[in-house]
Amino acid sequence: MTAAIPSIALVGNPNAGKSSLFNALTGARQKIANYPGVTVERKAGHASFADGRPISLIDLPGTYSLTPASLDEAVTRDVILGKQAGETRPDALIIVLDAANLDNHLCFALELLALGLPTVVALNMLDLATRDGLTLDTERLSKELGVPVVPTVAVRKRGLTELLAAIDGAIESHQPRAAVAAPQNDASLHQRARAIARAATVDETPVRRWTQRVDNVVLHPVAGLIILVALMFVMFQAVFSWATPFADALEGAIGVVQTWVVGTFPDNFLRGLVVEGLLAGVGAVVVFLPQILILFLFILLLEASGYMTRAAFLMDGLMGKVGLSGRGFIPLLSSFACAVPGIMATRSIPDEKDRLTTILIAPLMTCSARMPVYTLIIGAFIPAQNVGGTPIGLQGLVLFGLFISGIVGALLVAFVLRRSVTKGNATGFMMEMPRYQWPRLNDIAIALWQRAWIFLRRAGTIIAATTVVLWLLLTFPQAPAGQSQVEYSAGGRIASALEVVVKPIGFNHDIALALIPAMAAREVAVSAMATANAIDAEGDEDAMAEALGDRIAGRWSIATALAFLAWFVFAPQCISTIAITKRETNGWKWPMFMVGYLFLLAYAAAGITYWTAVAFGLG
Amino acid sequence: MTALLENSLDRAPLGVAVRIARIDWTAMSDDEGRRLREFGLMEGCEITPLHRGSIFSRDPLAVTIGRMKVIIRSNQAAAIEIETISA
Repeated sequence: MTAAIPSIALVGNPNAGKSSLFNALTGARQKIANYPGVTVERKAGHASFADGRPISLIDLPGTYSLTPASLDEAVTRDVILGKQAGETRPDALIIVLDAANLDNHLCFALELLALGLPTVVALNMLDLATRDGLTLDTERLSKELGVPVVPTVAVRKRGLTELLAAIDGAIESHQPRAAVAAPQNDASLHQRARAIARAATVDETPVRRWTQRVDNVVLHPVAGLIILVALMFVMFQAVFSWATPFADALEGAIGVVQTWVVGTFPDNFLRGLVVEGLLAGVGAVVVFLPQILILFLFILLLEASGYMTRAAFLMDGLMGKVGLSGRGFIPLLSSFACAVPGIMATRSIPDEKDRLTTILIAPLMTCSARMPVYTLIIGAFIPAQNVGGTPIGLQGLVLFGLFISGIVGALLVAFVLRRSVTKGNATGFMMEMPRYQWPRLNDIAIALWQRAWIFLRRAGTIIAATTVVLWLLLTFPQAPAGQSQVEYSAGGRIASALEVVVKPIGFNHDIALALIPAMAAREVAVSAMATANAIDAEGDEDAMAEALGDRIAGRWSIATALAFLAWFVFAPQCISTIAITKRETNGWKWPMFMVGYLFLLAYAAAGITYWTAVAFGLG
Repeated sequence: MTALLENSLDRAPLGVAVRIARIDWTAMSDDEGRRLREFGLMEGCEITPLHRGSIFSRDPLAVTIGRMKVIIRSNQAAAIEIETISA
C-alpha cells in the first residue's frame, strides 16, 4: 500500500492475553516508553511479514469499551481514534479475544469493528478454551464479524504466521468502508455479542472447574489471608537467602577489579576517582541486583499467574477501611519493587482522590532501593541465626518487620489523609478476576531483563554521578597530616553541619554524610558510606580489606543502627519518585506535601526508635 | 439514597445461581453503572455470587457471570435486585 512501515495496534479486553501475543510477535524487539504528557506505558515493538517487510506493533492498555474509565483506558481510545498527541493513527488493528470469554469480549470487538479500520481478530488462548470444554467454529465467527479470524495460542507461538499473513491481506485489500454503526446501547450490544458467541460455539460441555476449587481456598476469608501473608513472608525470606551467593560473587568480582586497578595504574587523581569513587560507590549498589531481581521475579509471577487480583480482593476490605480500594493494592505491591512504576500503575484507579492518596503513600512501601541500606545494616548488626529452633532466619524476620512497618505506616497515613486533605466519596472497586495461568518463562524473562536494565542504567547515571561528586567533596581540600580526611573535607564539613540537626535522633557523622547524597536515591547512602570508607582507609591495607558492614558494626551503637533503619522506612529520599509524583499530579503541590510529611515521620520514627533503644540499654 | 431492596444481591447466599431482576442505576455513578454493563451485569442475566470479603469486612463480592468472574463492592450489590431461577 504505502511505502511507510505499517503500524498495527493490538487491542482488546484486559486478560485477553494481549501482552503475551505482543511478546510472541516481537520477541525482545520491543521498547517501553511513556506517551508524552501522560505516564501511561507505551509498549512498541517490531516484527516483519513472511517476506521480510517490517511492521511496527503497539500494545495498547486493555479496556472494555471506547468509553474510558481511567487514564490508561483513555490512551487506548485516543490512539485508536488518532487523537493521541505524538502518535499516528494505527493502519490496522489486531483485536485480541479470549476464546473462552467470547460473550463479553465480543462487545468491545463489535465497537472496534464499527470503526472501519483494516482488522483481524486473534482468537487467543484457544487451548485454554478447549481445556474448559469449548469447541468453537472459527469460520463461522469470521463470517459473523466480517473480518478474518485467526486462532492463536500466543504461549506456544501458534498461529502467529497466519495472523501476520491475515493482517497483511487485510491492509492490502482494504476498501475504505463507511464506519458501520455499532448497536447504540449496551443492552443491544450485549445481545448481539451473545448471539454471535452462541453461533460460533459448536459445543460446550460442563467442565471440571478446578479454578473454582482453588479460589474456594485462596479467597477464603481466613485461610486466604493466611496464604497471602505466608506468600509475602516466603518472598522476603527468599530475597535474603537466594541472593547471597550471587551477591557474594558480584562483590568478589568488583574487589578483583579494584585490586587490579590499584596494582596496574600509578597512584593519581584518576585512580582515586575510579577506585574510591566509581568502583566503591557504584559497586556497592550493583551487588544488590540479585535481590532486586528476586523481588521483581516474585511480583511478576504473582501478576502473571492471576493471583494478584485475588490478593487485591482479600485486601479490599482492609483498604476500604482507610478509604482506599483493593485496586490500590497492585500499585502498592509494585512499589515494593520501585515506587516509580507503582505510582505510574495508579493510573488504573478511576477515583481521583483515591488515586492521589495511593500515590502519596506509595513511597512508604519498602522499595528495592532500600534493600542495600537494610541489608547492609541488618547484616552488620543482626546476627545470622535462626529464631529459636525454627528455620526462620532472624535477619529475614527483621527485614519482614521493616516491610510491615512501612505497610502499617502507609495505612495510618491513608486513614488520616482520606479524612483531611484528600477527603472524598467512598470509592468503588470493580475488577475482573482473571483465570489462573502458568506464568510464561519467556514473558517473565523479558520483563525481568527490562527491570535489570533500568536498574543498571540508574546505577550508571544518577548513582555514578552522585558518587563522583561526593568523592570530589570528600577528597578536597586535602587534610593536613594527622587529621581525618573525611572530617576535614568540604563534604565532611557539610555533614558536620547536618549532624547538629540529626544528633538528637542518634545519627552520627557517617550517617549525616550519607544522607545528603542519598537525596538522589536511597541506595546512594550505601555508596556514600563505601566511598567515605575507602577514602578513610586509604593506604591502610587492613582497613581497606575490611568490609563496610564490619567497619560500621564497630563504630555505631545498635540504637543508632536501628534509628537509621527506622529513618529509611519513611524518608522520601528519591529524586525519581518526587519527579514522577510531580508529573502524575500536575504540579509541585503534592510532591512537596509528600516530601514534607515523610521527612517529619522519618525524623519522629528514628527519634522514637533511638530513645527507646537507649532506654533499653542499647545505646 | 434509595430504600434498600428486598432481595438484593448484597444479601444473597453464596454459591446459588440467581437472575438479576432489576438494577437501581440511580444508586451508583454513571461510570460505575457503565462498568457493570461492560461486565455484562444487566437485567435478565444469570449470575452466581461466590466469595464475600475477608475477616476485615464483608466487602467486596465476587460473582461469576458467564465464564467471567468479577469483583464488585457491596454498595453496588445492594442496588441489584435478584430473583430465584425456577428449575
